[in-house]
Amino acid sequence: MKNNMKNGFLSNLPISLSVFSYGAILGITCNTKSIDYLELMLMNIFIFAGSSQFVIADMISSSFGIATIIGTAVLINLRYFLIGTTLNTLFFNRTLKEKLLIMHFVTDESWAITMKNREKDIDVYFLLGGGLCIFSSWLLGTSIGYFSGQFILDPQKYGLDFAFYAVFIAILTTMYKSKNDFYTFLITAIIAISLDYLLNNPVYILISAVLGSLLSLLFVKKKESNE
Amino acid sequence: MSSQNIIIIILFVALGTYFLRISGLLLSNRLKKYKYVDSILESIPSTLLIALIVPPVVKEGVVGILASLVVIMVMMKTKNIFLSMSIGVFIIYLSKNSLLF
Repeated sequence: MKNNMKNGFLSNLPISLSVFSYGAILGITCNTKSIDYLELMLMNIFIFAGSSQFVIADMISSSFGIATIIGTAVLINLRYFLIGTTLNTLFFNRTLKEKLLIMHFVTDESWAITMKNREKDIDVYFLLGGGLCIFSSWLLGTSIGYFSGQFILDPQKYGLDFAFYAVFIAILTTMYKSKNDFYTFLITAIIAISLDYLLNNPVYILISAVLGSLLSLLFVKKKESNE
Repeated sequence: MSSQNIIIIILFVALGTYFLRISGLLLSNRLKKYKYVDSILESIPSTLLIALIVPPVVKEGVVGILASLVVIMVMMKTKNIFLSMSIGVFIIYLSKNSLLF
């Protein structure tokens, strides 16, 4: 367990640098939008989901109602439902207490790193170790951004906001296994771009992922019938 | 917005997010009873990542797509996530400071 946690922590260190970077961007954003440091930390600890925190920080300074802000932020996090469903085998035979604790620390990053290593000999504590690594760099990054915002000024000018995407593109590259994946990836991308355009609402993420995966069945079935 | 309202927002989003994290895991056993659900869940990690990143990258325009392709190429050659990410960010940096084209 200890080793797994350590390995998880270490495997997430490279990616935590990008988490640190966009954490700093969120810190700066919160500072300029009159969210105080305590509120930022409450978000970090209890929500701990980067993109929804960005949405909250952005929307708070506009004239949106509370319910709209809550709805949008939760909608963005709908993907955690899907993420949870993929972790079933990893949590096999674990106590409810372990599930309730470890799931809170699951992030896009630590989950993706875990999925990348799933064929190796890892257990849930690898996932927790990774989550804690991301958690610490998130707290550190947002704090440094919050207090040093005036020195960095415009992080987007340095392309730091692209770090988030670049990391996931890199991980996605490792998930590419066969030619079937090519069609699944391409179709999902087309669906995502169109739905984002049509719906203009973060729920497109969830719908596109489910539709893309449903369509991937066609390739699986085709492969089966060829064999 | 008053800080009381901000606290309310944080509280409800936190509850909602935690509920989603937990319910996906706890319901997955029931979902698995259906045919082909395993196969769908197998492909969810990659489709979810694509849905999350492709639209914003495309919105970055030509340079976003170019940087993404470079990330993919570097990743295939080196298998190094950090190196690939840094080069991708560097390309965006060059472009935003009009050093690229």
